[in-house]
Amino acid sequence: MTDFFQNSGLAVKLGGIILKNPVIACSGTFASGLEYNEFYNISILGAVTTKSMSLAPMQGNPPPRICETASGMLNSIGLQNEGIDYFLENELPRMVEAGAAIIVSIFGKDADEFTKIASKIKTYEKEILAVELNLSCPNVEKGGMAFCALPDEINRIVSLTRNILKTGIIAKLSSNFNNIPEAASKAAKGGADAVSIINTIAATAFDINTFKPRLGNITGGLSGPAIKPIALLKVYELAKENIIPVIGMGGIMNWEDAIEFIIAGACAIGIGTANFINPDCGRKIIDGINDYMRRRNINDINILRGIVFKNSGAII
Amino acid sequence: MKVQKGEIVAARKYSENLYKLEIFSPYICKNARPAQFVNVRCAGFESNDPLLRRPFCIYEIDKKFNVFSILFIVKGKGTAYMANLEKGEILDFVGPLGNGFNIPENKNKFLLLGGGIGVAPLCLIAQNLIENNKTVHFVAGFKDETFYVWERDLIKILRDYRIFSENGAFGEKGLPSEYIYNSLDTFKEYQFLVCGPLEMLKNIQSILRGRKINALALMEEKMACGIGTCMGCVLRIKNKNGDIQYKKICTDGPVFDLMEVCFD
Ligand SMILES: Cc1cc2nc3c(=O)[nH]c(=O)nc-3n(C[C@H](O)[C@H](O)[C@H](O)COP(=O)(O)OP(=O)(O)OC[C@H]3O[C@@H](n4cnc5c(N)ncnc54)[C@H](O)[C@@H]3O)c2cc1C
Ligand SMILES: Cc1cc2nc3c(=O)[nH]c(=O)nc-3n(C[C@H](O)[C@H](O)[C@H](O)COP(=O)(O)O)c2cc1C
Ligand code: FES
Repeated sequence: MTDFFQNSGLAVKLGGIILKNPVIACSGTFASGLEYNEFYNISILGAVTTKSMSLAPMQGNPPPRICETASGMLNSIGLQNEGIDYFLENELPRMVEAGAAIIVSIFGKDADEFTKIASKIKTYEKEILAVELNLSCPNVEKGGMAFCALPDEINRIVSLTRNILKTGIIAKLSSNFNNIPEAASKAAKGGADAVSIINTIAATAFDINTFKPRLGNITGGLSGPAIKPIALLKVYELAKENIIPVIGMGGIMNWEDAIEFIIAGACAIGIGTANFINPDCGRKIIDGINDYMRRRNINDINILRGIVFKNSGAII
Repeated sequence: MKVQKGEIVAARKYSENLYKLEIFSPYICKNARPAQFVNVRCAGFESNDPLLRRPFCIYEIDKKFNVFSILFIVKGKGTAYMANLEKGEILDFVGPLGNGFNIPENKNKFLLLGGGIGVAPLCLIAQNLIENNKTVHFVAGFKDETFYVWERDLIKILRDYRIFSENGAFGEKGLPSEYIYNSLDTFKEYQFLVCGPLEMLKNIQSILRGRKINALALMEEKMACGIGTCMGCVLRIKNKNGDIQYKKICTDGPVFDLMEVCFD
C-alpha cells in the first residue's frame, strides 16, 4: 500500500488545481474509476478523469472499435456514454464515496452544449476538482475536432465554462492540427487552469486479406507507447513557452515514462492505455516516482519539472 | 478479479496449432464460474509487443490441485507467445472476468454446440451442468483433425456427444448445423448454448428463428481492458422492442441471447 506520508513531496499545482501527486487517470481509459477500485484504492491517485460525458447519451461507433498496431492501439469508440445526467446522478456519488479526486471530462457539439453541460455540473461542483473540456476527440465527425482547429472557439468555450463553474478548468487538446501552442494560449486567456496533451492521434489500419478497414469507423485514434515520443515533444515544446501548466499524456506505461514527461515540463501526467494492460499501474507509478525521488534525495517533485530545458540538471 | 501471476504446471501441445496451458491459481479455482475468462499478458517483462492482453475462456478447473487450464489455437503473436511457454514459467493474467453462465433452474436438457475453438468454454459448462444433474448433449464441428486429441478431454466429461468435421478426418463428415436442423424435433425441449465462428452462429440463428427454442451464444470481439472500461468490445443487440443497443461483451456477456444478436 502506498504510504501517503511518504508522498508529501509529490503535491503539484496546476493553476488553481492542487493535486496530492501528479498521477492522473486519463479520460476514456478509466471509466469512472470504480472498476479499477477493485485493483487498488483509486483515492491514492492525483485525480481520476471520467470518460467524456455529452449532454445526451451517445451510442458510439460501430464495431470493431479496437485494433492493435505496433506498440500501440487504435480505438474508434466514438464517445459512447450515458450522458451527463446519468453520470451526475449515478456514478458521481460512487466516485465521491470511493474518495477519488474527480475531474469530469465533458464533450459538446458546440459552445452551447458545453455551457449546458457545465450548468448541470454547477449543482455538484463542490464534489469536483476540475472539469476537462474534451476539445480534441478524433472519433466524432463534428464538434471536438473542429473546435481544436479553431483556437478562437476554444477561447470562447473555455471562458463560457469559466463563467459558470468555480472548479478547475482543463482544456484537452489534440496534436492533429499542429496548433497546440496557439490553442493553449487561447485556453489560458479564456481562464483555463491547465491543458492536457495529447489526445489520441488520428490513424487507421486495413486488413490485407478481407480488404476491409480494421475499424468499423475506418479511422480511429492511436494511443500507447507508439505515440510517446510525439507526445513528449509536444509537452516539451509547450512547457518551454511557459504559457499554461501542462498535463502530459501519451504512451506512459511506467514510472520511468512519467518522470520523463515531468522533466520535459509536465506538471502532472496522465495514464491511459496502460490501465488496460496493467490495471494497477496507477499505484505502481506513484510508488515508482516516490522511490526514485527518495533514491535521488529529491524532496519536491516540482524541482524536476522542465529540468531538461532549464538546463540545471547538474544540481541533482 | 485480480491481476495474478500463476505458475504453469503443464504446457501441452494437442496438435500443430492447438495447445493447452495448465496454471496454478487457487484464486481462479475458488472464484471462477463457467464461461468466465482471463485476460492474459502475452509479452515478456516490460515488453510492449504485443501490447494488449488477450482474452481466453477458462477451459477446465481442478479444485483439488488448484489448477485451471486454457485451451487455445495459435492465431497471431499473442497466442504464438503462449504456445512457447513452458512448465515452470509464470503466466500473468487478470481474472476471472465476465458474467459467466448461470444454470437456469427451469431447464433440464441442454444442447451444447461448439465450432472450432468454441468448444473450449462449453467443456466447463458441460461439466458444471452434469454436476448439477442436467442432461447434456454435446455437438462439435471442426474443419479438420486439429482437435483429434481434444476428444480425450471431452470423454472425461460426458459420453453423449457427436463430432463432425468438414473433411471427415475427425468424427463424422459434415456440418453440425445440418445435423441440428435435421434433429430439431428431438431437441425441442433443449436449451441451446452455442459458441463458434460467426458463420455458424448466424446459421443457427436462422434455423431457430420462429421456433420456440431458447438459445444462448458466447460471443467474442477484440478487447482492450476486459473489465468494462474501454467500451471497445461492443456487440449489436436487438432487444424485444426492436431497438438496437451496443452491449459490452466483457461485462454484459460473454453470454447473450442468440436471437437478439445482430449479425448484419
Ligand atoms: C471472451 C473471449 C474468450 C476467448 N476464448 C478463447 C479460448 O478459450 N481459446 C482461444 O483459442 N481463443 C479464445 N478467444 C480468442 C482469442 O482471444 C484470440 O484468438 C487471440 O486474442 C488472438 O491473439 P493473437 O495475438 O494470437 O492474434 P492477433 O495477431 O491479435 O490476431 C490474429 C487473428 O485473431 C483474431 N483475433 C484477435 N483477437 C481476437 C479476439 N479477442 N476475438 C476474436 N478474434 C480475435 C484477429 O482478428 C486475427 O484474425 C477468446 C476471445 C474472447 C473475446
Ligand atoms: C479507448 C480509449 C478511449 C478514450 N476516450 C477518451 C475520451 O472519452 N475523452 C478524452 O478526452 N480522451 C479519450 N481518450 C484519450 C486518452 O485520454 C489519452 O489522451 C490518450 O489515449 C493518450 O494517452 P495513452 O497513450 O496513455 O493512452 C481515449 C483513449 C482510449 C485509448
Ligand atoms: S474490453 Fe474494454 S469494455 Fe470490454
